[in-house]
Amino acid sequence: MESFNLLMQGLSVALDPMILLYALIGVTLGTVVGVLPGIGPALTVALLLPVTYGLDPAGSLIMFAGIYYGGMYGGSTTSILLNTPGESASIVTAIEGNQMARKGRAGPALATAAIGSFVAGLVATLLLAFLAPQVVKLALTLGPREYFALMVLAFVTVSATFGDSALRGLTSLFIGLALACVGIDGLTGAARLTYGVPQLMDGIETTTLAVALFAIGEAFAVAAVVAPPDGMHQIKGRVTMAAEDWRRSWKSWIRGTFIGFPIGAMPAGGADVASFLSYATEKKLAEKPEEFGHGAIEGVAGPEAANNAAAAGTLVPLLTLGLPTTATAAIMLAGFQQFGLQPGPLLFVTNAELVWGLIASLLIANVMLVVLNLPLIGLWIRLLSIPRHWLYAGILLFATLGTIGVNPSPVELGMLILFGVMGYGMRLYGYPVAPVVVGLILGPMAEQQLRRALAIAQGDWSTLVSTPVSAILLTVAALFLIVPLILRYTGRGAVLAQVAGDED
Amino acid sequence: MRGLESRQRRPQWAAFVIAAGLAAMALALLMDAAGQKQDGGYAGVGPGDVPRMVAYGLLVLSGLTVVAGFRGALPEPEVQNKGPVLWILTGLGLQLVLLHWAGFAIAGAMLFGLTARGFGKGPLWLTVGVGFLVALGIHGVFDGLLNLNLPAGPVERLVFGG
Amino acid sequence: MKHVLLGAAMAVALAVPAYAQDYTIMAPAAPGGGWDGTARSIQEVMQAEGIAPSVEVINVPGAGGTVGLAQFAADSAGDPTKLIVGGYVMVGAILTNGSPVSLKDVTPIARLTGDTEAIVVPASSDIMTINDLVEKMKADPGSVSWAGGSAGGADHILVGLLAKSAGVDPTKINYVAYSGGGEALAAILGNQVTAGVSSIGEFSEQVKAGTMRLLAVSSDARLEGVDAPTLKEAGYDVVLQNWRMVAAAPGITDEQKAKIAADIEKLNASAGWNTMLATKGWSNTYLAGDAFTAQLEADIAATDAILRDIGLVK
Repeated sequence: MESFNLLMQGLSVALDPMILLYALIGVTLGTVVGVLPGIGPALTVALLLPVTYGLDPAGSLIMFAGIYYGGMYGGSTTSILLNTPGESASIVTAIEGNQMARKGRAGPALATAAIGSFVAGLVATLLLAFLAPQVVKLALTLGPREYFALMVLAFVTVSATFGDSALRGLTSLFIGLALACVGIDGLTGAARLTYGVPQLMDGIETTTLAVALFAIGEAFAVAAVVAPPDGMHQIKGRVTMAAEDWRRSWKSWIRGTFIGFPIGAMPAGGADVASFLSYATEKKLAEKPEEFGHGAIEGVAGPEAANNAAAAGTLVPLLTLGLPTTATAAIMLAGFQQFGLQPGPLLFVTNAELVWGLIASLLIANVMLVVLNLPLIGLWIRLLSIPRHWLYAGILLFATLGTIGVNPSPVELGMLILFGVMGYGMRLYGYPVAPVVVGLILGPMAEQQLRRALAIAQGDWSTLVSTPVSAILLTVAALFLIVPLILRYTGRGAVLAQVAGDED
Repeated sequence: MRGLESRQRRPQWAAFVIAAGLAAMALALLMDAAGQKQDGGYAGVGPGDVPRMVAYGLLVLSGLTVVAGFRGALPEPEVQNKGPVLWILTGLGLQLVLLHWAGFAIAGAMLFGLTARGFGKGPLWLTVGVGFLVALGIHGVFDGLLNLNLPAGPVERLVFGG
Repeated sequence: MKHVLLGAAMAVALAVPAYAQDYTIMAPAAPGGGWDGTARSIQEVMQAEGIAPSVEVINVPGAGGTVGLAQFAADSAGDPTKLIVGGYVMVGAILTNGSPVSLKDVTPIARLTGDTEAIVVPASSDIMTINDLVEKMKADPGSVSWAGGSAGGADHILVGLLAKSAGVDPTKINYVAYSGGGEALAAILGNQVTAGVSSIGEFSEQVKAGTMRLLAVSSDARLEGVDAPTLKEAGYDVVLQNWRMVAAAPGITDEQKAKIAADIEKLNASAGWNTMLATKGWSNTYLAGDAFTAQLEADIAATDAILRDIGLVK
């Protein structure tokens, strides 16, 4: 079995002590930065990507994988401890996890998140390793019209989870779409909305927008609150999981994994959708549904496994189609390009060694993460006991560091401030900020695929539904649009509404 | 907290401001689209068409926001402390202005110090001082060890050399 | 501790030898691209060969290199230690973006490397030769969709030049721009488009594997080991090379320019540089002095003309 051999070869490379050291450094850096509130995995990878420059490819790749997993895990820590999810996929973790922390059970909450992430990461990475090559074969048959249909599906699934206010969710999305119009039009080279500013030619940087909306906007919002929120919660009782916790967690981890991976692997899925669905499933299947909302461990175990599995799942379209479906994936794409790896249908053919090296790196980093973090849960908690004024001062310094390091122009920093203020304003009036980033990422893709499809068909719109795949995808998108409406009217949308209601 | 929807009948001025902002954005898109080449080539969809569609969407949302404002359907924000926001904003502004000629450490110190001050920590000389040391350390690690190119000012050149 | 650092910094400052000079090279692109690779290769070889004791690379990405170029022209004037990497793509970007700063605002030193462009069709296509393809385009330009890199780039320009030389209206070409070589490659392999254009390196593996048919190359003479005619041989007067160059700051003296040119010549002659080119698969197309200046002017004029013909520059 060729892929198995390649994986073993990758693993043997990764077991070199120096490589393991890089993995350790990556996981540590990733966790330390990812643990900071408002800095999710996307940002963590963006901030720390430069760290991997200048290493040899193998070391760079594994450190990158470590940072990625570290950042993923670090984000859930803040959700549990501070009720400040680093990103949309950790929102549900905050609901039950923070309740557990308030009851002094932060230790088990963090542990089930860590082990759940590990289990999900392991299974999903193996699924990626052995299923992705099959997806590649399918991928080559997809053209602009199918990709356009996928984008439509992505828009619909994401906007269906905007929760109680469709108006505010859609407004956020359209602000993102409007920002996406800035820059050179990919198909004709025409400059749009650049007003003669050369820095705007390449459009608005996703990372700049995400840093500004999440980290800076959050800092404003926290600083402006008149009554300070409760900070850290004291740990009462045991820090590790009791037998009861294990018994209640393991099924949730498995379920979360198998909900997360396919949804993540669907180019229109995403870790946040997966975590919502996992939360809803766990609530439905729980022995004690009455505990939900008051610190049910299943509500942490399931979604955490789901978002990790989905994150591995998003690597399927990313690696095989070159399609970044989340902000994290978009930043990982930039990371891959650093290694000369051009994600796309031919990746497994042209860059086989690098790909299997990456997959082996992900496995190693995943193990390293759980090894490092379980004993250190107590320490991560102490990191967050840094007084708020130093904590947020540091967060802002790091947030701007990313932009300054990549592109230190006053225009870029100016945009950072502008969008930071916008993020604050949006928080004030309950507008979710995530859809803005989604719009910025998906908007240009949808537009370019549509116009490419139409150019190839010489303006014949029926081309959009002329293949079974595109027709099916568009039908599914239509169903996604209609079903939640029906669910909401029959009252089953309550969970989604509650979840997305205080989405950040 | 935020999910709390106050059902008051008083019109919300914030909603009208937001609606105006959305309409302004739509207008900018439409004006730019009008200046683009209208010929969509073989696709039939040119560079101005998608922005135009986004603009129409924004106009509809703007209208709905006005309606929501009359019905009081927007969540009322909690009372905000303006002081801290201004401190942080000033910190960000100073960093922007100082970055290129004073270097990363001094600019970063301003951002760090003013943000900490905004969160109620004083005195300013202390927070800026701590910020300076932190920023200098970050510069040392990221620029020196990790080859990230951060703007250097006199201080960085003095401490870390050329 | 600080005093130690300070002392060390001063010692370093005093110890720098005055003969070989340091360079700072701007790559007007994000890390990872061709210009970045060129800049970093120069850095590596210059340091390894002792041409310059210390070389730093800075990235200023954006708008086909014009953001970096504008910053370079403004900030580096008269500074003989500053270099910028650029290329053919920049020539097109300056024109299409209406950039206020052009290559006249810097001091071009030498052309270093170049890529030949290639035209391919999917292996399953019924088009066998470049003449078949051109005939199809002549009959119905819209029916021939071309996948290639960004609008106004070298790939787009090549299609425009080919159309023009074949007597087809260049504004009528159905060019489908993709953001990267990989994406365009997938479209060609998946039979989504009629033909594809990119630098030959992007396609060579596929052509070897038999999944694509190479119809023609854009070089002046036949390439060694490549079984395809040049466009010239096929009867179209089109030659295009996607070159990369290095330029110095504006406003430097003739002596300073001569010193830089000498350093670059040393670089080009070094064994390290030629090994580097071989590993990266770049061909050495070194051209300096008046010959380069003349070539550059001819390229700018030709590019301006074809971009006007395609309708990207008014």
